[in-house]
Order: sequence, then structure tokens, then C-alpha cells
Amino acid sequence: MKQHLGRQSGVQSVEVSLIDGKVQVTPKEDGRIDPAQLIQATYDSGVSVAEMQMTARGKVIKDSSGNLAFATSPNQSFVISQNELSQGLEALAGSTTVITIRGELYKKPPGKKKGGASAPLKLTILEIQNKR
Amino acid sequence: MKAKKLGLLLLLGVTLSLVSQAQIQHIEMRVEGMT
Repeated sequence: MKQHLGRQSGVQSVEVSLIDGKVQVTPKEDGRIDPAQLIQATYDSGVSVAEMQMTARGKVIKDSSGNLAFATSPNQSFVISQNELSQGLEALAGSTTVITIRGELYKKPPGKKKGGASAPLKLTILEIQNKR
Repeated sequence: MKAKKLGLLLLLGVTLSLVSQAQIQHIEMRVEGMT
């Protein structure tokens, strides 16, 4: 799995902890990495993803459907799930403010045996680390 | 003329730094079924 993930585009390094089942992925400096592709690659290597979190810098935008989204690059954004923290980001939509967040992109639904994200990844904000 | 070039360079630098500011820094997954 480590080798399989390491071959994905944008991946600089992969650390796997067998004890707690955690996989740490460090993107290359340009940060152009596709989390959905990582979930698929993990699944393809015979392991299911129970949970995925990311730390990212980006801007809050409104997507073409009017949903609040977090843009990590001009062509990559994640729709933000509503929670207490996301409400505080509404005011930043469309502004040039760059924020760093930690958020959950995927959680395997309870009772589902096999992991794998079939729907587009949604971002649940867990922590807003800084605003600039 | 020099000031104009410096200004343009500064603007380019600021633009590039803003673009590079947005990115995924780290991803952590919890997986199941790993042997």
C-alpha cells in the first residue's frame, strides 16, 4: 500500500503505522494532490479507508451551485459541510483571506464493510488554525 | 524606469506567493484491513 500510494501524483512521502492503522501522506511542495485518488489507491491496494483528514491552506469560496467551499488551488475545491465552525467562515466567502484548516474529508459510514468514497468528498471543518 | 521594473517584480512576487499559499499540506488516513 505504501508503494502504491507513493506512486500517486503529488505524493512526496507516505508513512504507515501498522500499530494504529494510520497513514500519513505528505504532498509535494506544490500541494497538487487529489485526496479522492488516494482513497481509491488505498482501496485498490486491498485496504479500506475508515477516515481521512487533511490540513490545508486555502480560501473560502462559493461554488457554482452557491455552496460554501474551500479552495486549495484554482481548480481544486471541497464543499464544506455545515457545522459551528463553518458558520464562521461564511463571511470570508469570496474574500482574499487565506486560512489554514484541519478538516475531515471522508468517514466510512457505520455498518459499511468496505470503504471507498463513491460520492464527492465533503469537508467537515474540525479546526481553523489561522486566518490571514 | 528602474522603479517601474522593481514595482512589476514586486507585484509578480506577491501574486506568485498568493498562489503558492493555497495548498494541501498534510493528509492523514485511518485504514482498516492492513496486515
